[in-house]
Amino acid sequence: MDYKTIMCDVLVVGAGGAGCRAAIEAAEHNLDVIMLSKELLGKAHTAMAEGGYNVSLGNVDPDDNPETHFKDTIVGGNYLNHQKLAEVLVNQAAQRIFDLEDMGAVFDRTPEGKIAQRPFGKQTWRRTAYASDRTGSEIMVTLTEGIRKTSVRVFDEVFATKLLVTDGTISGVCAVDLKYGDFLVFRAKSVVMATGGAGRIFKVTSNAQLDVGDGYGMAYEAGCEMIDMEMVQFHPTGMVKPESAKGRLVTEAVRGEGGILFNNKGERFMNRYYPEVMELAGRDQVARSIMTEVLEGRGSPDGGVYLSIAHLPKSIVDFRLESMVEQFEDAGVDIRNEPMQVSPTAHHFMGGIRIDEHAGTTIPGLYAAGECTGGVHGGNRLGGNALADTQVFGAISGENAAKFAKNKKHLGVNREEIVKEFERLEAMLNRKEGISPSDARSELTELMWEKVQIFRKEDDMQYAVKELRRIEEEVVPNIKVDVPVKRFNPGWHQAIEFAHMVTTARMVAEAAAMRKGSRGAHFRVDADPKDKGYYNIVIRKGKNGKMHLQKEDLRITQITPP
Amino acid sequence: MTMTFKTSVFRYNPDNDDEPYFQEFDVEYEPGMTVLDALLFIQDKYDSSLAFRWECRGGQCGSCAVRVNKTARIACRTKVEPGAKLVLEPLEKMPVIKDLVTDISQVTYRLRRIRPYVARDKPAQHPEIIHSEQIEKLREIRKCIECSACLSNCPIVHETWDYPGPMIIRQIARLELDPRDVEDRVAMAMNEMVYTCTTCKMCEDICPKSIKIPALAVELLRAKAVEAGYPLAEGQQGFIDEINATGRSVPEKDKSLLSELPSEEFLVEKPRGRVAFFTGCLIDYRMQNTGRALIEVLNRNNIDVIVPKEQWCCASPAFRTGDLNTAHAAVERVTEIFERIMEKYNLDTVVVACAGCGKTLREDHRPLIEEKRGEPPKFKVYDLAEYLMDVIGKENIIPPKGRIDLKVTYHEPCHLGRGQGVVDQPVELLKMIPGVKYIDDPMKNRCCGAGGGVRAGQRVLSQKIANTKKEYILATGADMVTTECPFCTIQINDMMKEENMKVRYIPDLLAESYKKGDK
Repeated sequence: MDYKTIMCDVLVVGAGGAGCRAAIEAAEHNLDVIMLSKELLGKAHTAMAEGGYNVSLGNVDPDDNPETHFKDTIVGGNYLNHQKLAEVLVNQAAQRIFDLEDMGAVFDRTPEGKIAQRPFGKQTWRRTAYASDRTGSEIMVTLTEGIRKTSVRVFDEVFATKLLVTDGTISGVCAVDLKYGDFLVFRAKSVVMATGGAGRIFKVTSNAQLDVGDGYGMAYEAGCEMIDMEMVQFHPTGMVKPESAKGRLVTEAVRGEGGILFNNKGERFMNRYYPEVMELAGRDQVARSIMTEVLEGRGSPDGGVYLSIAHLPKSIVDFRLESMVEQFEDAGVDIRNEPMQVSPTAHHFMGGIRIDEHAGTTIPGLYAAGECTGGVHGGNRLGGNALADTQVFGAISGENAAKFAKNKKHLGVNREEIVKEFERLEAMLNRKEGISPSDARSELTELMWEKVQIFRKEDDMQYAVKELRRIEEEVVPNIKVDVPVKRFNPGWHQAIEFAHMVTTARMVAEAAAMRKGSRGAHFRVDADPKDKGYYNIVIRKGKNGKMHLQKEDLRITQITPP
Repeated sequence: MTMTFKTSVFRYNPDNDDEPYFQEFDVEYEPGMTVLDALLFIQDKYDSSLAFRWECRGGQCGSCAVRVNKTARIACRTKVEPGAKLVLEPLEKMPVIKDLVTDISQVTYRLRRIRPYVARDKPAQHPEIIHSEQIEKLREIRKCIECSACLSNCPIVHETWDYPGPMIIRQIARLELDPRDVEDRVAMAMNEMVYTCTTCKMCEDICPKSIKIPALAVELLRAKAVEAGYPLAEGQQGFIDEINATGRSVPEKDKSLLSELPSEEFLVEKPRGRVAFFTGCLIDYRMQNTGRALIEVLNRNNIDVIVPKEQWCCASPAFRTGDLNTAHAAVERVTEIFERIMEKYNLDTVVVACAGCGKTLREDHRPLIEEKRGEPPKFKVYDLAEYLMDVIGKENIIPPKGRIDLKVTYHEPCHLGRGQGVVDQPVELLKMIPGVKYIDDPMKNRCCGAGGGVRAGQRVLSQKIANTKKEYILATGADMVTTECPFCTIQINDMMKEENMKVRYIPDLLAESYKKGDK
């Protein structure tokens, strides 16, 4: 089995908001840094974030401060957050947005020339900094510019498939060069995981095609502890039609700027569910309210509800929601005059790789940041906290990975394990009989969308768990790529991704089955009233190779659950 | 029943194939379907190894640019037309990795070369105070998602990588506009050949974010260069000096049209309308017959034509090359002259037959006057073909009767098609001439290489662009190529010197048919 080995000091896996920020930070330490990007540099899913970046600058509401931001984050997270991580988030968000400005970011301004801030769901003050409704794109462009200033070596279209661990410490990754199909081993003294989320395990999602849970799968297999995997955020407002745009994000900024939701009777239904905060209730709350309207027959003809900004001044719409105007124009809807149809879409994983406040995982030398981690957001993430998360923990992970790598030698690697991994990938191409990746993927994403969705119940959970175990045992080892070509072969890429998707889906379903009560984004229609849900579910791969789940006490520093 | 359409896709795996080939697929149509949807359909139903890039499916990431029927577009925001055949190819100019996936190393390398980040010479103070007005233009130009589509159809990049292409010139302008950046981006723009752009606006047309790259990047950087004291090329400066001295961009050779015309007024018996004729420099000084043809065509359609004796250059050469002093002076002068004529003759319409003048009056003069005095010029500007088809109306046009038995194709001037949105009208007019067999050139909107000061300043490059254009025109097999711009006419005449291809200005051809019909 031919493969090439590439050496570096710090390896960053993932090139979105967190990965770029980690690489930039690590490169400050006179180390050789490689950043692997599954896509071309700058195309990561961060670019699709729309609404903004939460930071208690107080530029618009001077009474805001990190303490209030912390409280909002914990209450919004249904008290499940690792509070130390949330403290870090709110305390460092300001410095990190200034870093972005230093690098060249252009955020929208207040009349005094400071960074402007808008209201977002469940926040006491106007706190969300933005660049129109393409804030993620602005940040991604800035970080791309930032990366191009550094010594970071970018390997784009390289897909990491397996973490290498030597005597309990990280030693590198196995990867495939998507362009030419070569097998690569990256040996590093420390590794940062910044692999994003896994919205694509659901049929309807706001996520880019690459968000399939590679990081969750790899980290779990390597022995990392995973936390809160049952907590999947369904963004309340995704596009409903046309079919090909189904699930595409309709930013919370639409509601932040004053958009209202109504049903087919013309009722502003949020009044019935959360009259104090209306459309700016938590994302989990708004998503459930919308689904209730739809399920009870008050939805739009295409299975959503209506979201309207027709009452807002057109100048505000054009200036602050320009992407939305464009996105709906493509669908033949002029949102300046007509309502949008929206319904929930799988959006964000609150759970993920367990980290401490230094972004360290449970494997020495392995760090993680951004959506692939769990604990910062608890049971529900506030809109605008994810972009802040990428920058705060991106920088921390980069710094600590660099410190770990300093003055260390490369560890050896287990070559048998490497060969076995590449043989597994090669086998998908050589199999004579088997299941096509696209069929396998449809089965998985439909199962997750039907059974492990916004309203969960025991039967569904048990069914999903059983099915996923079957898929893991029967489908994953029998994936067969139609055309046995290694050079840029999307069929092969999908086949490799599939194992990661199944592992991720299993963690979500198994944890959701274990949690009998409702809490945060996890809502059980058959909730056990005795289960208040104030615990975290931690998953790791047991010594016997089986998935091991366990409930753990919350990590509380300041706010005790009611 | 499901409607299907044919999609022909470029296939190439250099590991196995000696050369690329096209593979045809039947794709099921769905309302609202995009090119990306069609590609995903093919990947799902026929061949999972079909290689193309995509990520966000929402026009945010810029991964999925391909050539759709010859023009680069991002696939996720380009609708397919039911019933029409779709041909998909990789972006031009970049080597193919496989199928529609190209190697963009050249772009990455060129980006790195311009140090594409805000350079600072001291640490920033926080909070940094930046006012909205300071970033207004910057904000526009920063929407770029680096899809590289604009590089693919750029006529300059097509000829040479000496020019890094619209996307990268835009990045230089983005940094020049950033109040925090301390590098000399103007010197950098000069080094990156900012004066090789013909301002053909193909990039602007292709851009999924509709960024006005020629105006907001190229012309802006050129204006900064002039301000910084960089000299224009001799040929370009010649135009400017002429304008300032005489009000015309070229020296008089034969008697000018305006001096030869017996009167300012060309009135008809029962006028259905009245227009003023803005001749522009080249029609006045070099193509006097075209000017007379225009008056004749309008008169025959019962339109009074007023040709002010005193006219002034629109200063397009100054706008394009960055001499804003000359440009702004001309704006005032032209507006003043034609507003006076409006009042004197009770009219509100100005007709031009020069694509460059029309574009400049509409896109450059109008906003400047509006900014200065709060209201735009009082007159409306139309291209001749546009005026005939849209204002008079096809059904009311007096049909030309003289036969012209020729195969005729059309070169769309950049500043007419993309500059003024006049695309179909000239072709419709041509088709009205008896005997004319119109042959469509799929590359009719490719730049001829004359504009933007390139013919005057970069003759060798200009000729290369012209030669590429020539191949497209000759490939149509037509006997005659027509156009609606004096500058294009001169350029195409030059390129066709050795060829058996007639070159005509549309008003001339119309007038000829009218005259023939009288006999």
